[in-house]
Amino acid sequence: MTLTQPPVPQEAVASPDDPTRASAAPPHRPRRAPLAGAAFLAPAVALVVLLLVVPFAFTIYRSFFDDNGFTRSWVGLDNYTAMFADPAFGQSVLNTFFWVVGTLLLPVGLGLAIAVGTWKLKLGAVARFAVILPYAISGSATAVVWTFMLSTDGGLDTLLRLLGLDPLVSQWLLQWPLNTVMMIIATTWQATGACVILFLVGLQSIPPSTLEAAQLDGASGWRLFWAVTFPQLRPMTIVVVGISIVGSLKVFDQVLLLTNGGPGTASETLALTMYRETFTLSRYGSGAAVAVFLTVVVVAASYAYLRRQLRPANG
Amino acid sequence: MPHPIPGGPSMTRRTALALGGAGLLTATLAACARGTDTRPSAPGTVTLNSDNPTWGPGYDAASDVLAARIGYRITSRSIASVANYNQIIRMTAQTNSTTDLIKWTNGYRLQDIARADILTDLNEVWDDAIGRGWVDPAQRASFTYEGKAYGVPLYKSYYAVFYSKRAFAENGIDVPTTFDDLMSAAQTLKDAGITPFLAPGATTWESEIWFMQLLASLDPDYYAAVTTNQASYVDDPARAAMDLWSTMYSDGFFSAPDVTSNDLPGLVSEGRFGMMLYGTWFANTLLASGLTDDDIGFFRVPPHASSTAPAVIVESGSLSVPVKAHRRDAAVDVARNWLATDVQEAWVGFLGDTSPNPAALPKSDLVKDLAAGIAAEGPTELIRYWEASPTPLVEGNVQDLGSFMVTPSKAHGESTLRSMEARARTEWKIWDAA
Repeated sequence: MTLTQPPVPQEAVASPDDPTRASAAPPHRPRRAPLAGAAFLAPAVALVVLLLVVPFAFTIYRSFFDDNGFTRSWVGLDNYTAMFADPAFGQSVLNTFFWVVGTLLLPVGLGLAIAVGTWKLKLGAVARFAVILPYAISGSATAVVWTFMLSTDGGLDTLLRLLGLDPLVSQWLLQWPLNTVMMIIATTWQATGACVILFLVGLQSIPPSTLEAAQLDGASGWRLFWAVTFPQLRPMTIVVVGISIVGSLKVFDQVLLLTNGGPGTASETLALTMYRETFTLSRYGSGAAVAVFLTVVVVAASYAYLRRQLRPANG
Repeated sequence: MPHPIPGGPSMTRRTALALGGAGLLTATLAACARGTDTRPSAPGTVTLNSDNPTWGPGYDAASDVLAARIGYRITSRSIASVANYNQIIRMTAQTNSTTDLIKWTNGYRLQDIARADILTDLNEVWDDAIGRGWVDPAQRASFTYEGKAYGVPLYKSYYAVFYSKRAFAENGIDVPTTFDDLMSAAQTLKDAGITPFLAPGATTWESEIWFMQLLASLDPDYYAAVTTNQASYVDDPARAAMDLWSTMYSDGFFSAPDVTSNDLPGLVSEGRFGMMLYGTWFANTLLASGLTDDDIGFFRVPPHASSTAPAVIVESGSLSVPVKAHRRDAAVDVARNWLATDVQEAWVGFLGDTSPNPAALPKSDLVKDLAAGIAAEGPTELIRYWEASPTPLVEGNVQDLGSFMVTPSKAHGESTLRSMEARARTEWKIWDAA
């Protein structure tokens, strides 16, 4: 959290009992203060309630109904029981889990490796630029490029044939789990740049003196990274991993554009299941049930992760 | 305390916040205001919402004739994403923010929204059009729910085989008139190094195309029965269709299932295109891409056995009038005149496709010959699979068929049919209970 919060002036947090401030500070807070505070907070609170809390509450409410957009009838937990009984939903949860693991291993892992490996090199900036460049391309455009690469007899198959590697030619987007793996790789190509940038920011905030001290003590290479650099990157690692977990749990655009969740529902993720139920089948209640499940998973994962990682050192 | 930066009058933070807040409020209020697309249209016009952004000039051409007939023109607007369009229509057609006319599909997708009482009964319009000979009466059933018609045919397309005239000529292939001819034509093309059929559908709606066509060729009555819950997906005709489809795959007659129909013009120019079974509406795209009647021809897939009655798959869109349309009477009047021969001639003159009005023919010989053949032979017209059963059943089954196309073994064909049958039991129960 120290990354984003500006330093807090000492006088703002000093206790009212502080004898050094006793003469200057008013003896009690003015009555208008709470009201003024509420007035300043009100617009933000109203927007959050209106745009986030109310729709979410309505989504929860809607998940208890059989709702086709025209008529609505109460069905209790039927949407949830049907959702958990559907084999396609199990597949969707499994794919989403693959995405979380894949995203942590590849874009985050590679991002860290590239940032640490290149930040002190002379031509490191060039290497980083090459990695970061795809980040400037939109997700949809990336998907179009990778569709060209991965479709049958597409760019990748042609390249493999050219190199005499015919046995490796595959239906990259048509066979599960290969299609999910390839989509994670396509996302890695695009998303690693963002992780590199964040880790570089983290590296630049490490005081050089600690690294110099470690080097004077004889640390270098892997030992220097693992014992000195990586621990000091912890605040940024927490942010990057947190963002990646949430992003991968709700992955949608790449899958929609590359495989449309198919063949069948083989590569569907939770966000796609939610979309299919709601917008393709017009089963708003079932879609809302998946949305609630997805939200619970995202919030629970984020809470569990951040609670563990942001625990005070002396706590 | 003096101002740290001396100078003229400067904006305080409070003023900036107030200005920003006021701007945001104004923008919010403006966003809440009704857009021009949902207000009543200008006098002498009716609005039409559609999911096809390229059809604007066609509506303009038809409007020129409509204006002369009834004094109304169509102002069209479109939402290119089909999923977004469906949701927007489902929401707005219940309110007075709707357009006067909407493009929709026929069959069960039309019945689905007709059940909500948001569409105008157009029975009188149909009676009138049939009386004038403007439309085939057999089409009425697919626009009707519980005795009321809720739309008129916006367009009419057939499913036929697009073939390369050059590839056929170079390999001495005549246009097939029997199913065996079709198979031997495919074999000849394959032997010549051309993939016989371009067949997309791994993850798209197009997976239904060969399934419905093989059923229509094998047993048209069964196709009509299975799509209306009068037969099972694991009955013999469906098994025979999947077996045949699987055999055609093992014979190497199909492209990879993740090709797209847009690959066709490129393959033609490379001399690598053979055939593609598709909707005749695609002819317009091909002609626009520079191909001509000399490059591409059409033929219908013949029945599998000579004893089977000929059948053809028909796709149609619906022109419907929401109950809450601002200019509802005028919209009904447009629907009443939409099928008139002169309006349809202008419309299909743009589309380059067949018309619901058998007297209106497009300029392209490509489709004209097909329409003439259909008029002469009078095959049974079967509604396309996409509209032939309740939406969730079709959507799920189409996904199963796409999966089959990726792994087209006979065993997978069997399991695909079992999955489709299980879904049919569930979805028909839901449909009947609604």
